[in-house]
Amino acid sequence: MMDNHTLTLVVADAALIAPGLRRVHLRAADGARLPPAAPGAHITLSLPGADGARPLRNSYTLVSADPEHGYELIVRRADRSRGGSRHIHEALAPGDVIDATVPHNLFALHSQAKKHLLIGGGIGITPLLAFVARLRETGAPFELHQIASADEIGVFAALLAPRAGEQVHIHGGRTSLDLPALLAAQPLGTHVYTCGPAGLMDHVEAAAAGLGWPSSHVHREDFGAAGGEPFVLRLAASDIEIAVAGDQTMLEAIEAAGIDTPSLCRGGACGVCILPVRQGEPEHRDHFLSEAERAQGCHVMPCVSRSRSALLVLDI
Amino acid sequence: MTNRPRYAPLSPFAQARAHLLLCDGAAIPDDAFAPGHGLTDFPERWTVAGHALVMPQPFGAPSEQRFRSASHLLALLRHRLAAETMGLRIYAVGSEPFVWDVAKIAREAGMGREEMRLFACGAPERRVACVHCRTVNPGVTTTLVTCAGCGAVLTVRDHFSRVHNTWMGVQCDAEAPGEVPPVEDLCA
Ligand code: FES
Repeated sequence: MMDNHTLTLVVADAALIAPGLRRVHLRAADGARLPPAAPGAHITLSLPGADGARPLRNSYTLVSADPEHGYELIVRRADRSRGGSRHIHEALAPGDVIDATVPHNLFALHSQAKKHLLIGGGIGITPLLAFVARLRETGAPFELHQIASADEIGVFAALLAPRAGEQVHIHGGRTSLDLPALLAAQPLGTHVYTCGPAGLMDHVEAAAAGLGWPSSHVHREDFGAAGGEPFVLRLAASDIEIAVAGDQTMLEAIEAAGIDTPSLCRGGACGVCILPVRQGEPEHRDHFLSEAERAQGCHVMPCVSRSRSALLVLDI
Repeated sequence: MTNRPRYAPLSPFAQARAHLLLCDGAAIPDDAFAPGHGLTDFPERWTVAGHALVMPQPFGAPSEQRFRSASHLLALLRHRLAAETMGLRIYAVGSEPFVWDVAKIAREAGMGREEMRLFACGAPERRVACVHCRTVNPGVTTTLVTCAGCGAVLTVRDHFSRVHNTWMGVQCDAEAPGEVPPVEDLCA
């Protein structure tokens, strides 16, 4: 299921809205209407790699999407940027043309929910901003809890200002939000959506499970898995070896070697990038494979997972 | 093609904050519970006593509440679920119309299939909706029934609507007028 629908976008506007946060407006390069996108959808941009390396593909959530007025992103400058966010922060200028995928939605509001509980950490606020806009429109009950580090409370307060209201809460630091108490107080039919650092999302998932929330009511958005130890990848069928650097994903390394392999969310959620493992021990970081499938070790999601063994052999 | 619901014997969900068992009669067959499980796994039970002498019970946390009728139980269930928080699981055991009434109320309160378990038991009894006049005929136990709304003799088709909690009833001689099949008891 390779997605071939690409869009050619042009940067209409790019502005620093806070230290390390840049807001980017994109429109269709030919001025046509863009495909509509539901709140929570993301697009994958092809960005020039560092030092003339092959292009990087990074997924970003759409903060707003309007077929006429274009797409809006907010990009945080990553500390260990592989070039994607650094390029957006240092080089991107109005008029630049970027290739992107059409919007995909793997993080959607649940239409049957009685209430929506949104829990964001840091830049994980981006899909939640789109959710809040929609929920305000439809009048559905919701609550947003945004966790920000103490020195960034002002940034998020400013971002949320146009959407402020009694349902919107900003907490300085994770310890200032009593997650179990918040989850325990939710009425039947509540769905929780969390986006932010893996530790926060794991915490939300574990607390909800501990209170008896069915997993179908807990939703998380996984983007930008951090790197790890370098390892060597051998593609058995194509008979090539690829070095996967510590700050590079397996999928990026495969793509950089010129091999086309399907991907969609690039965040370990959709399962599109699945590849068969012949030898070696994968370090699974996705949310697609079941425990049993992980234990078998026959498949791996290269967009986020890595290798425990120094060598991983794939059957492609 | 039948879409008859299948029911698995009940056992409590592994991870839940609270469990509530709803029964439409005191007599629950042993096979309503999975091996190794039984009534004691469900300390909180609501039961239809079907009796005008049911006394209001002292407030507190009685392990078993008794109700005058299924309607009474269902009305209070709706009330209870509106005040409940996430983590509750419900279980319904009894006639098929009863367990699906419970499911409907739970669904309306925001609960999904993964938060409830149903077990229908007892002699088969169906609510049959006439496809011609939409009348719902309760308590049908035979393969043919005369519709209380339009008087047509309906064949009970093996087709169940989980949303409406009714089986489909179609005029029995619609294709060959006058050919009325023999009446039989519904089988489980
Ligand atoms: S691309 Fe979606 S799981 Fe890897």
